[in-house]
Amino acid sequence: MILPAIGLIAGIVIALFTPLRFPTEYSQYIAIGILAALDCVFGGIRAGLQNTFDKNVFISGFLVNTALAATLTVVGDKLGVDLVLGATVAFSIRIFTNVGIIRRYILDKWFKNACK
Amino acid sequence: MKKARVFELYVAGVCVILGILLVGQVRTQEYIGQSQIPSRRLEDLSDMLRRSEAERMILEKEVETLRKQLSKVVEGEKAAEAAQAELIKAKMAAGLTTVEGTGVIVTLNDSKRQAGPSESHGLFLVHDNDILQVINELFAAGAEAVSVNGQRIIAVSEIRCSGPVISVNNVRIGPPYEIYAIGEPGALDSALHMRDGILDTLRAWGIEAKVIKSTSIQIPAYKGGLYFEYANPVLEGVQK
Repeated sequence: MILPAIGLIAGIVIALFTPLRFPTEYSQYIAIGILAALDCVFGGIRAGLQNTFDKNVFISGFLVNTALAATLTVVGDKLGVDLVLGATVAFSIRIFTNVGIIRRYILDKWFKNACK
Repeated sequence: MKKARVFELYVAGVCVILGILLVGQVRTQEYIGQSQIPSRRLEDLSDMLRRSEAERMILEKEVETLRKQLSKVVEGEKAAEAAQAELIKAKMAAGLTTVEGTGVIVTLNDSKRQAGPSESHGLFLVHDNDILQVINELFAAGAEAVSVNGQRIIAVSEIRCSGPVISVNNVRIGPPYEIYAIGEPGALDSALHMRDGILDTLRAWGIEAKVIKSTSIQIPAYKGGLYFEYANPVLEGVQK
C-alpha cells in the first residue's frame, strides 16, 4: 500500500516543481480526468486486494474510461447537455463502491489479524 | 506477495498522473478564482459590458470630432499668434492703446495781444483750424500718435469749433492746447518750424506756440466708444 502513496506524493511534488497549469477552457476535462484516475486507482487497489488484478484490464480501463469521459464532456458541450455530470456520477458511485469493498476487505483482514 | 507488488506498481503509476493532475487542476482553479467572476454576476456584467461598449462607441466618435477640432486649433495656433500681433498693431493704429515714445509737445495759447478797434477778436485766438493744421503737419512729418489735451486723435476724431472752445472726440477743450505727438522729435520739430510754416503763421498773429522735444511722452488711448452703424467691413481674401 506504500507504493501508490509514494506515487501520489511523487506526482504532486513533480507538479509542484513545474509551472504546470492547464488552460482554463480544459479545466472540465482535467476534472473528469482526475475522477477517472481516482476511480482507476481505487479499482486497481480493490482488484489487487481481491487478487483479481490484471494489468491489461487496469490500463485499458484507465485509458478507455478517461477517453469515454472526455468524449462525453465534448459531446455534452456540443449538445448543451451536461453529460459530464453522468460521467461524474458514474465515477463517483464506482469510487464509493470500490472504497466500500476496500474498507470491508481491510477491516476483515485487520480483524482476522487481531483475532489471531 | 509478488502479485500484490505488481498491482501496486501500476496503481502507483496512475497515482503519479493523479497527483500531477490534482496539482495542475488546483492551480487552474485558483487562477480562475482570481481572474474570473461567479457566473451569477455574469449577466449583470455582460449587460454592463454592452452598455459601456455603446458608451465607448459614442466616446470614440467624440474623440474623433475633438481630434479634428484639435488639429484645426493647432493649425490655427500660428495663425492666431499672427492675428494677435496683427490685432495689437491694428489697435495701436486705431488709437485704442496707450502709447509711449519720443516726440514733441506743442503748446498753443491764445494771443495776449488785444484786438484793435478795426480788428476781429477772433484773429488772435487759437482756432480749430489751427490745431488741425498743426496736427496735419505732425502727421505729415511721421507722427505715429497724436493727442490734443489728452484726447487721442483717431480716424473718426473731429476737431471742431464749438463756440468759445474746441471739441475733440466730443469733448470740449479750451486753451492752452497741448498737442502731444510721438515720432522722430527732430523731424516733427523741423516740420513745425518750416519757414512760413504753420508756427510762423500762428506766431504772426501773436499766438503763443511752443515746441518741446521730449524723449518720453505718453499718449493715452481713445476713451470713447466706437460705433459703426453704416460702415460694414468688406473682407478681401478672407484667410488663406
